[in-house]
Amino acid sequence: MSETFVEITGLKKSFGPLEVLKNIDLKVDRGDVVCIIGPSGSGKSTLLRCVNLLEEPNAGKIVVNDVELTDPDVDIDSARTKIGMVFQGFNLFSHLNVLANLTVAQRKVLKRSEEESRRVALHNLERVGLSEKAHAMPAQLSGGQQQRVAIARALSMDPDVMLFDEPTSALDPELVGDVLGVMRQLADEGMTMLVVTHEMQFAREVADKVIFMDGGYIVEEGPAAEVIGNPQEERTREFLARVLDPTHHGPSDPV
Amino acid sequence: MAVSKRKRAEYIRYAQYGLLIVIALVVAFLADWGQIRAAFFNVDIAKSMFPSVITVALKNTIIYTALGFAFGLALGLVLALMKLSSVAPYRWIATVYIEFFRGVPALLVFIGIYYGVPIAFQMQFPPLTTVMLALGGVGAAYMAETIRAGIQAVPKGQVEAARSLGMSQGRAMITIVIPQAFRIILPPLTNELILLTKDSSLIYILGLFREQYELTKFGRETLSRSPSLTPILIAGLCYLIITLPLGYLSRYLERRGTGGARKKVSA
Repeated sequence: MSETFVEITGLKKSFGPLEVLKNIDLKVDRGDVVCIIGPSGSGKSTLLRCVNLLEEPNAGKIVVNDVELTDPDVDIDSARTKIGMVFQGFNLFSHLNVLANLTVAQRKVLKRSEEESRRVALHNLERVGLSEKAHAMPAQLSGGQQQRVAIARALSMDPDVMLFDEPTSALDPELVGDVLGVMRQLADEGMTMLVVTHEMQFAREVADKVIFMDGGYIVEEGPAAEVIGNPQEERTREFLARVLDPTHHGPSDPV
Repeated sequence: MAVSKRKRAEYIRYAQYGLLIVIALVVAFLADWGQIRAAFFNVDIAKSMFPSVITVALKNTIIYTALGFAFGLALGLVLALMKLSSVAPYRWIATVYIEFFRGVPALLVFIGIYYGVPIAFQMQFPPLTTVMLALGGVGAAYMAETIRAGIQAVPKGQVEAARSLGMSQGRAMITIVIPQAFRIILPPLTNELILLTKDSSLIYILGLFREQYELTKFGRETLSRSPSLTPILIAGLCYLIITLPLGYLSRYLERRGTGGARKKVSA
């Protein structure tokens, strides 16, 4: 039943002299939701961005759905159409209205007809509860609405896996729930998801597996209840204490 | 003695106004208004310039400028992309072109193209083509830098989003980046158009026929036949018919903003 969908082995990534990822191994099964948590600078966003090769790894192997993305001969553009990505800053195309944001890649990349791309777009807008915003410009939407449009845009390519890079970190607190609700619904529908997040509640309730990263390594991984509820590693405990109960801790030591 | 700061600022302002009025009065008193009137406001000569100043000269100025701008924009876009290319020789070529044509007076470029190209290639371009190459060639150098700045001003996250949807580098550039870049640079681009309008006066050097005259050439030609500077004034006013609305448009576009700004994305 459990079939490995994303497999990362020996992944290393440096920015100049700064080694951000140091030998990462990670497996994600089809239909699983994996939440990646950890302090800022731990490399979690970089790891996620390596999965669709927005960052070029220095070493290691990344296989998504039996396609080896790190193979130099791979058609990365075609592979990316099957890997949806949602960014912290939404990154909606600011010169296009919502509908065009959802159809442009369907038309230009998947070569779908105008009619079909429109139908797919409207269906996905409905999934995120924003059907009535089809003709709005991104700047007219709240942050939460923009992020839901961004999710619908990624879904319109019919991806096999979705990558979420701190999708709620740029949102006002009262808008976070809408976006997490959409993500939970996606998870319930069986989408394979990798989520970099600081929302521990979401990770605890939705994730099949939680990964704690620090200093470019995966420090601890396992079922959400174990990693968040009963962490084994000192660094995980320290991080969770700071995140879950921030007022009872002094400023962190500079690294 | 006890003058408040605000009062003192007010007095200084009055003093400045007073000085301006004095200067204006002195200039007005010294100038010979009869001579000025005779030189610049000869109604008969002004009347004799119509309608051809509009139907020929103004029309040609607009045509030449439009041709030069269209060619310059296309070449400028190519140069901007070359300048941003990862291929070093492309960057070198673009840099040499831009630095040369920005640094050399437009008049010299026009002379070079008009006399040089026929000698070099043993062929004579039709006048409109020469105008287009000359004006556009100079305009492209300026516009390339503007376009490059515009492309670089598009947030990086826009390209990342496009690439994550499976768009190739080129596709993302054409579909996402360039349309946004042009929104950002519309005001400065309008200013380039104004500059080009005035540069079109330099193509008198190309030795045009009467029906090819643009405003400056037309004004100078009329000037040579009349004992008055009126033609120059009329030609100047005609330029303003073009440039004032463009200037207004540029300021309007700038005020309206571009809507291209987006929150920066952190890693």
